[in-house]
Amino acid sequence: MLNGLNGLILFAIETAAEEGGGLFDLDATLPLMAIQFLILAALLNAIFYKPLGQAIDDRDAYVRSTRANAQERLAKAERLAQEYEQSLADTRRQARSVVEDAQAEAQKQAAQSISEAQQEAQAQREATQKQLDEEKQAALSQLEQQVEQLSQQILDKLLGAAV
Amino acid sequence: MRLQAEAIRTHPQNGTEMLNSLHNLIFMPLAELEVGKHYYWHIGGLKVHGQVFLTSWFVASLLIGVAFLATRKVERIPSGLQNLMEYALEFIRDLAKNQIGEKEYRPWVPFVGTLFLFIFVSNWSGALVPWKLIHIPGSELAAPTNDINTTVALALLTSLAYFYAGFRKRGLGYFAKYIEPTPILLPINILEDFTKPLSLSFRLFGNILADELVVAVLVLLVPLFVPLPVMILGLFTSAIQALIFATLAAAYIGEAMEGHGAEEHG
Repeated sequence: MLNGLNGLILFAIETAAEEGGGLFDLDATLPLMAIQFLILAALLNAIFYKPLGQAIDDRDAYVRSTRANAQERLAKAERLAQEYEQSLADTRRQARSVVEDAQAEAQKQAAQSISEAQQEAQAQREATQKQLDEEKQAALSQLEQQVEQLSQQILDKLLGAAV
Repeated sequence: MRLQAEAIRTHPQNGTEMLNSLHNLIFMPLAELEVGKHYYWHIGGLKVHGQVFLTSWFVASLLIGVAFLATRKVERIPSGLQNLMEYALEFIRDLAKNQIGEKEYRPWVPFVGTLFLFIFVSNWSGALVPWKLIHIPGSELAAPTNDINTTVALALLTSLAYFYAGFRKRGLGYFAKYIEPTPILLPINILEDFTKPLSLSFRLFGNILADELVVAVLVLLVPLFVPLPVMILGLFTSAIQALIFATLAAAYIGEAMEGHGAEEHG
């Protein structure tokens, strides 16, 4: 069967060749096909390779520029975040120092007020003491006077009776 | 001529006529095979193969139609057909870039790409489209690459393309490649210019024709299921042949532009 087929194909070639055809029948089909192919290439170039190639290149450029842009913005954002952190830390430090200053000031004022109050109290106490002393002195002298008077009177009475 | 009829005639036996008609009845729509017969058109005294042109027009209009549909509304985010064709284009670009080089490949993308697409769609149309159902006088429709004229035309265009590329890039210095690396190789280098188109055209022609013949013979012998693996293999080899043709064409162009001298530096 296979032999038969083999012979068959050879036979086919032979018969076709006899009729002016055949497997290797080169004729005007060749140049026409070449021209047709070139026309097809030109047409496809105009409606396929160029627009789609353009689209691909545009997209590449777009992606690249967007990427660069995004990277730039990311860097900027990071820089800004760093700046904010920096200024936040600065502000915190400032706030702490302000609080500390205020506390120190308040303590100082408190200490001053306390000492003033103590001084005043001391002064008042001394003044009161002095007054008390004076009054005591006065009372004592008055009392002495009275004692003297009374003793004079007693003396007078005693002596007077005797005199 | 019809294969199955001949097959029976080579085994003469009793009841040949009956068997013949039986075979005709069963196999005729499936297992007709005509080799080397052409549907001649006469154009101004020139004979051309009509069946080749008919199918090549089909292939060309298919390519143009798909390309047109794909690029009708080009979007930045591709979808559907545009996506597919962009994939094809990127594939072709990569092919050309690998063979010709990053710097020079762009002008050659249309040529190499059309070679690939035309051969690929031709081969697959021969394998997938039931051309045999359309009857034309004196021949039958098949893949355009089934005809030696088509493959020789493509191969000669490739030769012209690489000569053009070489002369354009290197001027008359292109001839220097014939005596490189040594003048002793001059005859072989000249011979190469003939063997390149010859091997290109016959490789494609032989593969596609042999594939169709094998499928036809198998269909003739066992018309059910058995030819299917061979058909799938045929699809595979068809695609590979298109890839080989386009890759070799790009490689020849790249080689012509590069030259043997530049290769050492590159």
